[in-house]
Amino acid sequence: MIETAIVVGIIRILFVGIIITAAYIISTRNLLSVVSVYALQSLTLVCIALALYSLEGSIVLLAIAVVTFISKVIIIPYFIATIQEKIRIKRDIEFHYLSPTSSLLISMALMMVIYMALARIVEGTPVRESLFFFGAVLGISLMLMGMMVTFSRKRAITKVLGFLSMENGVLLFGMFVTELPFIIEFLIIIDLIILVILTTILSVGIDSTLEDYHKRLHRFHLLIEPEEVS
Amino acid sequence: MIVELFIPAIIVLLAGTIFPILTASLDRRSVRTISLSCTIVGSILLVSLSLLILLYGEPVYFTLFQPLPAFSLSFVIDRLAAFFLLIIAVVSSCVALYFTEYIEHIAGSNRRNLLCGCTNLFILAMVLVVASANTISFFLFWEVMAASSFFLVMYEYSQQNTAKAGIYYFVMTQLSSLFILLGIIILYLTTGSFDFLPLTTTASAPLITVAFLALFLGFSIKAGIIPFHKWLPYAHPASPSPVSALMSGVMLKIAVYGLVRFLLDVFTPDLWWGVLILAAGTASAVLGVIYALKEHDVKGMLAYSSIENIGIIFTGIGLSVIFTASNLPLLATLSLLGALFHSLNHAMFKSLLFLTAGSVVSATRTRNIEHMGGLAPRMPVTSALFFIGAVSIIALPPLNGFASELLIFISFISSVSVVDPLFKILLFICLSLFALTSALSAACFVKAFGSIFLALPRSPESAAAKEVPLTMLIGPGILAAACILLGVCALQIFATVGFTVPLPDMLLVSLLLLGMSVLTYVVLYFTASREVRVSETWGCGTLSQQASAEYSGHGFSEPLDIIFSAIYRTRTINERIFFDQKNCIFKEGTGEIRLLKVFEEYLYRPIAQQSLKVAEGVSRFQNGCLDTYLLYVFVTVIALIIFLGWFA
Repeated sequence: MIETAIVVGIIRILFVGIIITAAYIISTRNLLSVVSVYALQSLTLVCIALALYSLEGSIVLLAIAVVTFISKVIIIPYFIATIQEKIRIKRDIEFHYLSPTSSLLISMALMMVIYMALARIVEGTPVRESLFFFGAVLGISLMLMGMMVTFSRKRAITKVLGFLSMENGVLLFGMFVTELPFIIEFLIIIDLIILVILTTILSVGIDSTLEDYHKRLHRFHLLIEPEEVS
Repeated sequence: MIVELFIPAIIVLLAGTIFPILTASLDRRSVRTISLSCTIVGSILLVSLSLLILLYGEPVYFTLFQPLPAFSLSFVIDRLAAFFLLIIAVVSSCVALYFTEYIEHIAGSNRRNLLCGCTNLFILAMVLVVASANTISFFLFWEVMAASSFFLVMYEYSQQNTAKAGIYYFVMTQLSSLFILLGIIILYLTTGSFDFLPLTTTASAPLITVAFLALFLGFSIKAGIIPFHKWLPYAHPASPSPVSALMSGVMLKIAVYGLVRFLLDVFTPDLWWGVLILAAGTASAVLGVIYALKEHDVKGMLAYSSIENIGIIFTGIGLSVIFTASNLPLLATLSLLGALFHSLNHAMFKSLLFLTAGSVVSATRTRNIEHMGGLAPRMPVTSALFFIGAVSIIALPPLNGFASELLIFISFISSVSVVDPLFKILLFICLSLFALTSALSAACFVKAFGSIFLALPRSPESAAAKEVPLTMLIGPGILAAACILLGVCALQIFATVGFTVPLPDMLLVSLLLLGMSVLTYVVLYFTASREVRVSETWGCGTLSQQASAEYSGHGFSEPLDIIFSAIYRTRTINERIFFDQKNCIFKEGTGEIRLLKVFEEYLYRPIAQQSLKVAEGVSRFQNGCLDTYLLYVFVTVIALIIFLGWFA
């Protein structure tokens, strides 16, 4: 087996990876790369689960790693990529309430606040400095950053990605703090897949009907400007 | 025995509610007659039940349904409840008798079935409110009563006035329910029970005072105490006349019942509570009758007169509270008896007046008394019945209005020698205002009777009016008989139920009056000349006398208008449009002097506008955008985290 200190070091490095991916999801305007970054974030989570497995040896962690890999690294990104091909939207430049810069600043402040709040809650207990404490802070932060994506972006597809990123935060929190029963984790993932499939159907469907609608508008000279493709 | 009468009465009324609603698609007279017969049967059962309790009975307590340990649908019928049940039942049966014919003459085809069902539900709810043994079922049935009466008011929903009346009524009645619920919750918090139990803590505890004020406000709004009266003059003209009779005759009394029930059974009142009730009552009595004088819509006038009479009842209750707090139990009982007796009397004569007014309105197709006139020869029985109601309401002996107002007067006058000097002044002021009220209400009904029934008809409809069918006369006839009976035998009735009151024996007085009139008639019959002269009344020398030259209702009330011109505030509206920009060449303009609706313009509208502003501010949070709601969730989560970290 690998030495514990090394594993802990690896996990810390992976934490940094998660923060970077989350920051990227919040701030980028390029839609195509958001999906790859989401896949990368999920892969990082898989690595963390594996590393934790090597520390604790719990079979549930291994199962989580497998399920996460199949669903969040392969299936969901695949579906979203399909949607993006269909709707031909490459860039997401419309924001609500928060611009990318302010989102980044706020998420930094957020992490500080959560760190301080959790530190006050666990004051005096041995978990204070442990890996699990950082895992919890990071999990909650990731969840809230995902939430920020859901309300600061206007495009539905980015909202979905924000929601997926929120779920990653929950998974991270679950892995480190509470012992989420595997069945619940599994059900959440099934929900996610259904959500993404629904989004696929809806966006592809809405897009096609929208085109029909536009054609009709053109026919009756009600719509002068050409269809906007951004 | 009592329960055996009560449960069938409830079932019959319930059947009368459900049957016409189930058969709403059948526009048949039989459906409506069956439903209204249910009302009559149920009412007769209730009358016998309440008479049994009033004369002999001990209070009866029973539980119908108990879904939760702390909450049950329980009923208690003591003498107070039985008294109000009697009011409900008598008025309801007469109204139902009248309604069987009246409902066939109004528009609305199928909706008339629903009107029957709703009327029965309304009566049922009032019965259950009065019989409720705990505050929860009291409130529950109170809400049923409010909702069903709202539907009754909205019967002619397509008319613009009705929509306005409906909104006014709905808002005010829900406000009343809100305050009552608040009072009930506060009482529950202090006692831990929903029963009508005497409070052990003293009345001056702030929470108890708040509870009293909330309940007082709630009942005042429902009873139409000024300044919460505005729904009455809108709702009554808008709803069908029998519904007005029920609402004014009975529903307002339910509010009185609520107030009396809470004051007697729950609170130990403070002195200033009594002063508050007395002041509210006196103000309503005086202002109500002053506004009634100015009103030319017959049902609107009756509505304002209801405000006046409720004011008189509240005056009696207020006096009773003051006397209880100053340890004068005899006087307290006397004034409370006066208030309760006036409730009964007002129920009788006001529903009589509303029913006869309904007959008049359906015969002349107008509510404006200036367009009536000359109905006495055309509708002799209706005019006689209206006359009895009018004489009762202006408290002429020997009719019932006199008996109850006299009781309140007696308690006023005999109290003056026993209370503090400061209270003496207050009581004297209230007494003089109360006396003024009686005089003004006499003027008001002289005007109403004169304009509606006497002289020549002032409109073709009025000239073509015919007497209503017999079935529309029986109901009011019973009420008129009750008015006479309650007045003439007032002393005997009080003696039967076990109270000695310092009333004169009206039986003797009325026998004397009757004897005098018979004697006068006989003397005149034998002494006067038999020569018949046919001539016109002298009409200032005009050649042909026309109805338009008559002394109108406006003309009659003009002197009083001038006396009370400080109260009748007017607003002058003068709008002019000019041809040029410098306002030199006049193009057209409108000028109008109209009565200022003081309460509506200075109290209701500002409050409504403020609430609209607040509502607009709140609705900005609710903008229908998903992102905003997510932002709210986000902010809430952050706030929770901060709260957990630093304050928990």
